[in-house]
Amino acid sequence: MSGGVLLIAEHLEGRVAPSTPELITTGRRLAAAFGGDERDARIVVLGSGVRDLANHLAGYTLDVLLVDHPALAEYTGDGYVQALRGIVESTAPRVVLVAHTSQGYDFAPALAGAMDLPLVTNCLALDVEGDRLIATRRLLNEKVQAQVEIRSERPIVVTVRPGAEKPVGPARGTMTVTDVPVSIDPSAVREKFVRLERPQVQDIDLSGADIIVSAGRGIQKKENLVLIEEFAKAIGGVVGASRPLTDMDWLPKTRQVGQSGKTVRPKLYVACGISGAMQHVAGMKDAGLIVAINTDPTAPIFEIAHVGFVADVLKLLPATLKELKR
Amino acid sequence: MALNVVVCLKQIPNPDLQFQISTDGKDIRRDSLNYKLNAADEYALEEAVRIKEKHGGRVVALTLGPKRTEQMLREALAKGADEAVRIAYDDPSAFDVGKNARILAAAIRTLPHDLVLTGVQSDDYVNSATGGLLAGILGLPHASVVTRVVVQERQLEVACELEGGLQRVYSIPLPALLTIQFGANTPRYAPLPAIMKAARQPIKELAPSALGLNGWDAVALPYSFGVRGLSPPAAKGHAEMITGSVEEQAKRLAQVLRDKGFVRR
Ligand SMILES: Cc1cc2nc3c(=O)[nH]c(=O)nc-3n(C[C@H](O)[C@H](O)[C@H](O)COP(=O)(O)OP(=O)(O)OC[C@H]3O[C@@H](n4cnc5c(N)ncnc54)[C@H](O)[C@@H]3O)c2cc1C
Ligand SMILES: Nc1ncnc2c1ncn2[C@@H]1O[C@H](COP(=O)(O)O)[C@@H](O)[C@H]1O
Repeated sequence: MSGGVLLIAEHLEGRVAPSTPELITTGRRLAAAFGGDERDARIVVLGSGVRDLANHLAGYTLDVLLVDHPALAEYTGDGYVQALRGIVESTAPRVVLVAHTSQGYDFAPALAGAMDLPLVTNCLALDVEGDRLIATRRLLNEKVQAQVEIRSERPIVVTVRPGAEKPVGPARGTMTVTDVPVSIDPSAVREKFVRLERPQVQDIDLSGADIIVSAGRGIQKKENLVLIEEFAKAIGGVVGASRPLTDMDWLPKTRQVGQSGKTVRPKLYVACGISGAMQHVAGMKDAGLIVAINTDPTAPIFEIAHVGFVADVLKLLPATLKELKR
Repeated sequence: MALNVVVCLKQIPNPDLQFQISTDGKDIRRDSLNYKLNAADEYALEEAVRIKEKHGGRVVALTLGPKRTEQMLREALAKGADEAVRIAYDDPSAFDVGKNARILAAAIRTLPHDLVLTGVQSDDYVNSATGGLLAGILGLPHASVVTRVVVQERQLEVACELEGGLQRVYSIPLPALLTIQFGANTPRYAPLPAIMKAARQPIKELAPSALGLNGWDAVALPYSFGVRGLSPPAAKGHAEMITGSVEEQAKRLAQVLRDKGFVRR
């Protein structure tokens, strides 16, 4: 068996990552684009005691290759690369698909480096033209789109940005789960897992808020947070932030919206001086109404905003507060 | 225990700017860009220098890029790097991360390295791939999106950030490679005397021959890579854009908030 697409499932503490069903959509489409059947995409599950998870994923009507091994109980780069090396060699897929998550971009490039495979990462869309894989990516804070092409006899390792594709739901009819015997040398897994740390919950919980006014680096100075707070208060909201502000300790970490912070879904989200980097947008794109204020008309936040103000937030908010008091 | 640290630094166009596409459609226009050190790399550099200050050793700042990157390397010297090395790869765009990483790996092989650091991502191409590729090519254990590093003899304890604020802690033997995350530390400013001194320090240049190559086209790649074209992103934008004076905009914002019921009256 060779050709087709292998896609690597991601899971933590018995739960499938939200990026995996999206990856299944991409995988099926890509398998079909290679001239095969969309069933030529197979899901790889690596872990220990994860048969239920593999069975669950087989419900997405793709065959599942399962490597259940004690050395894979916790994710490690070495463990994944060792396990995948054998599977990639024996199945010789056209493409190995991985989600562009912290875990995905830990092992996908390492696999490509260790096996001398081509690699393209953080893709929004994938197409096939003849023997070429065409990847659509975004550069320079989303301001430029690029299409690159890769041609290779070897499997191409590809990471796909979460949120780029609609997830599929499980379908009727289950496919097979095949156990893949892989020998993993635990002593060759050099990264030793120590523990999982969870964020401390204190302060407020942004994820329950109806109205969030978030500040980004565009507010320039910590002192200007007062303005954001005043505005939030006027409209009954709470203050959130982009990552640089919590990194600089202007606000507690609990206020950070985005991929590595909180995912929020308020009725109103006001983005003040936030550029709209993918990691921020991942945490707030589903807000009911998104209002963005930014001096740069090409800022990517305007792509997902419903109402956009090309304005200096330090001028617009005071003027709006005055309006609201009228 | 003294450590030889190699930190990979990339010079990128300031992403706050607006960009135009070059006439052949294969690159951005580069005639009037201002360049800076990639943000994540500032944290990687700071981490390298702190490790050296605490445990002894040397920090080598390594870049692959055209002559203009010398300015960034001098900044790194002023902030505490002991040596600066530029791989003289003059392609102004260098889009192929696989090729770049293979060249960087060849250069790292020529340098003593107990620890290799990169940033978590370059803000111009956002691959988040160079570090992992280097680890795979060089056969180093590695960890990504690292927010905390503790050196314990020939071991590292590192915290790796996942989605949603979770962190996985690993223990890793040296030599190793880490990709450093934003906010891992607070980068320092270079003191003026150090800036003056760095201006006079030599920058080592590596030509292809220094890496056993007959030119940069001789890098062995298991694929062919091409840029089909760059374009402004297809405007999915459905934002209603409000222009006008600040007063007019403020009226409009207040009205939007009232209409949607977020403020009474
Ligand atoms: C693994 C990883 C995880 C991450 N997780 C997160 C996360 O969870 N959340 C997050 O937010 N980021 C996260 N980031 C960082 C993210 O990539 C961006 O760096 C960050 O979101 C940028 O924050 P910003 O928009 O405030 O700053 P910038 O990108 O610097 O944008 C500032 C904006 O303000 C505008 N501006 C400047 N002055 C004014 C003014 N006077 N008035 C109005 N506008 C003005 C500018 O035009 C610019 O668009 C993560 C990064 C990585 C690599
Ligand atoms: N041309 C380069 N020279 C030196 N380091 C680089 C170069 N390109 C990428 N890197 C390093 O790799 C990291 C990740 O970049 P990327 O894989 O492009 O997202 C950067 O933060 C740098 O530390």
